[in-house]
Amino acid sequence: MQAIKTINLSKRYKDVLAVDDLNLEVENGELFALLGVNGAGKTTTIKMLSTLTAPTSGDALIGGKSVLTESDSVKEIIDISMQETAIARKLTVEENIEFYANLNGRTPSEIVRIKERIYDTFGLKPYANKRANKLSGGWQRKLSIALALTSEPKVLFLDEPTLGLDVIARRELWNTIRALKESTTIILTTHYMEEAEYLADRIGVMKEGRLLFVGTKEELFALTGTSSVEEAFIDLVTTGENRK
Amino acid sequence: MNKSVLRVLVLTKRNLKELIRDPLSLVFMILLPLTMEILFYYLFHNATSQFEMKYLAPGIVVFSQSFSTLFTGLLIALDRSTAFLTRLYVTKTKSFEFIFGYLFSILPTAILQAILFYIVGGVIDPSLFGVGMLLAIVFSVITGFFFIGFGIFLGSVCNEKSIGGISSIVIAGQSVLSGMWFPTEGLPDGFIVFMKCLPFKNATDLISISTSGISGNEQSFLVSLAIVCAYAVAVILLGIIFFKRQMTSK
Repeated sequence: MQAIKTINLSKRYKDVLAVDDLNLEVENGELFALLGVNGAGKTTTIKMLSTLTAPTSGDALIGGKSVLTESDSVKEIIDISMQETAIARKLTVEENIEFYANLNGRTPSEIVRIKERIYDTFGLKPYANKRANKLSGGWQRKLSIALALTSEPKVLFLDEPTLGLDVIARRELWNTIRALKESTTIILTTHYMEEAEYLADRIGVMKEGRLLFVGTKEELFALTGTSSVEEAFIDLVTTGENRK
Repeated sequence: MNKSVLRVLVLTKRNLKELIRDPLSLVFMILLPLTMEILFYYLFHNATSQFEMKYLAPGIVVFSQSFSTLFTGLLIALDRSTAFLTRLYVTKTKSFEFIFGYLFSILPTAILQAILFYIVGGVIDPSLFGVGMLLAIVFSVITGFFFIGFGIFLGSVCNEKSIGGISSIVIAGQSVLSGMWFPTEGLPDGFIVFMKCLPFKNATDLISISTSGISGNEQSFLVSLAIVCAYAVAVILLGIIFFKRQMTSK
């Protein structure tokens, strides 16, 4: 069974067709990068897959469960890290982790294990007793992503996870995301092409709500005759429709 | 424990921590009304009966609770303006659980305000101590529900920039339209009817009558109780409706 399968998934906002007839399959354990310029429909797709927005038509199955009719079951196996940092500002790092884990119904012994895992993976232990609003932007971002793991999701949506981070923090986060991949299916949206090139097993390119390409980076290079994801992306979104 | 109750408790604990770690909330909800209670009593209680402790303490309790509207609204609006709430919508938490989480986190503060200002009032004027004081503290839970519910409603429809201005209308309404700072005798009849239709004077009257004694004032007490309860239920229901609406619009 695929981790994610969308069936003619569409979303319309008044006159704008944000996502148009999307058919996509993502395998278990895969890290799938969704690329596109601003307004391509990446975030809307993530919002539909994570039950935050209802599709106008079509459906999506997450772990075989419909986002339309089984949203509570879908919520049990997913989590999301938004573009914006999403933390409880005046709680400490430890309290933030406990808050999210408790809200996800974790037992006290599970929370102890989850905290240790998050501290190890994200290097947050030294900041455990520091209030979230006193952390630097990079550490707040890391905490925000770490909190998505408190539910131990089978499918994790990362919407532009490294937005606004400096190059060192971004590289550290890449390594963290790579480590997560072993146990979790990850759908990642990004504007940084090198991020997709470094992390993704497969890449999807969206333009104006439609999926122009799905495949490995090697298949992308072969299709466009380029040797980097950035060149291939530019080639595809500027000429892709004509070539299709 | 029921999962829904557990989620409400988790949210309540978090919201309470956010509130008490904001020094401004303590200044406006505790220190300012406390200063006013002591200062106004000693400055004016000999000049006008309006500032005798049996009238001043109920007014101060309800006035201090009106700041709950500001801080509840601000907490929700800030949660909405960041991605904090959006992320929580991916959990199985329901809209009414969010609302109860906000409501129950701030309610203890409203009760604490009533206890504190009555004890201070009683220390200044021991005649305040008695059954009336206990009744007033019990009924302050209802006035607390109203002001917190109003904050939940405003927080669900306003952004964090506008919430301060709009909440200040509620606080000013409580000051001006409650009759706590000046006697209402002599005001035009139409204005008094207007005041009696709004929750502010009724909230003050409810606590004031509880303090002074319900016996002989049953009708006024029951009318004020009914009006404050109706407003409290209405704003909480509106809060749930608008909160759910912005939740699904995400």
